[in-house]
Amino acid sequence: MAIRRLTASLMGISLWAAQVSPPASPNIADFGKGVAKYLKVRGNAVSAVPALKATGSPEEILDHERDLAISIRAARPGAAAGDIFTPAIAAEFRRILQAALSTPGADRMKKSMSDSQPSPLPQITVDAAYPAGVPVQSMPPSVLRQLPPLPPELEYRVVGRTLILRDIEANLIVDYLNEALL
Amino acid sequence: MRRLILCLLLSGLVCGKAAELSLPLKDKSVRFAVIGDSGTGETPQFEVAQRMVEFHNLFPFDFVLMLGDNIYGSKSPSDFRRKFQEPYEPLLAAGVKFYASLGNHDDTNERMYKPFNMNGRQYYSFRKGNAEFFALDSNYMDPRQVQWLDRQLAASDATWKICFFHHPLYSDGKTHGPSVDLRRQIEPIFLAHGVNLVLSGHEHFYERLKPQKGITYIVLGNSGQLRRHDIRPSQETEKGFDTDRSFLLVEIAGDELYFQAVSRTGQTVDKGVLTAPAGKNLSARGYTVANSPLAAGLQE
Repeated sequence: MAIRRLTASLMGISLWAAQVSPPASPNIADFGKGVAKYLKVRGNAVSAVPALKATGSPEEILDHERDLAISIRAARPGAAAGDIFTPAIAAEFRRILQAALSTPGADRMKKSMSDSQPSPLPQITVDAAYPAGVPVQSMPPSVLRQLPPLPPELEYRVVGRTLILRDIEANLIVDYLNEALL
Repeated sequence: MRRLILCLLLSGLVCGKAAELSLPLKDKSVRFAVIGDSGTGETPQFEVAQRMVEFHNLFPFDFVLMLGDNIYGSKSPSDFRRKFQEPYEPLLAAGVKFYASLGNHDDTNERMYKPFNMNGRQYYSFRKGNAEFFALDSNYMDPRQVQWLDRQLAASDATWKICFFHHPLYSDGKTHGPSVDLRRQIEPIFLAHGVNLVLSGHEHFYERLKPQKGITYIVLGNSGQLRRHDIRPSQETEKGFDTDRSFLLVEIAGDELYFQAVSRTGQTVDKGVLTAPAGKNLSARGYTVANSPLAAGLQE
């Protein structure tokens, strides 16, 4: 079972990598490599945790989320902010986001992304859980169209002005980019 | 005797009107209810749920669509109980299935919660009779989901194509208003594939808009939450209700779709019927919406 999940995970990486083509810039290509590296580590970590099927027990869902996060953390000791959003990639992302949020109607999008944000904003930490009680803000579709595509395991989210790369199933902050939104 | 009369008066105040059904209860019809922004775990959510149970006795709907914000705040097991299981326990016990979409206050991993019937998916579709339902994740409408929606709608031969998700494409809400960016991405797909009805939440009131490019839009985000007097009526407003909580009942019989919006106190705040063009899988254009005189202009 574990081998099957690992194989499926590796196949998923290949499929996703095929979608990310052609890269718009070397920085975006590097971002793709960083994500692929994370997925590889994640694939090993996932294979150590029993798969979760839909369940009527919220406890099981939370336990699975926690166990998966523990396994991923253990598989990448020393993970730090900027591992994926390197300075060059960060600059590229800021440029993309600024362009995407400078279009007509951008004010409404920004307002939507700041809806129900707590004050003060929570501390964002790599490998920590997405902060409890903070709404998982909606991402404007036109912004998502501009950002490099992600595999199904990951998503972009925004807390305050910070762009977060989040592992959905593990509810884990993989990396983040401060001052992503101007 | 005086105490009995007082008790009856008080129970009337709490319970409101007796349930009055405006739906035709046709043979073999598709029957469902709709709730949005429900998961507060507070008294009004329980009162709406109780009212739904009363109406279920008159109108035995088979399933409930959830328009997001199903579990507000923390997501501990006790929250799932308090904000979902307990209020809807009588319906769950009666075999009513709930189909959830995710709101901005939901956790993505609610998709693994079996009673929400998402089967691990953030967006999905299911068929009931001549209607097909498309649950979307409007929090994260990435190109992958847009492609999926386009393919699924194109492949559907249902007479009624009903999309439900959290953020409204059209709304007269003062607080949020329409999700214009989302509209730009998915409205062309709705139009291309003959979507008939779109149900959304997010705004904490009930609003039915005049058909937009042939599609009927209903906003229902007050099954637990409420933002009083938040509707700024416009020329697009067909019916608004922003002074109490509500839920929606829907019955589909052939090419007719009947709806009735009911308040927490049992008042019918909107009702009508949509008629699909003859034949299946036709464009949504040409719809007619019939309103009863009773429903017209009722905003308390």
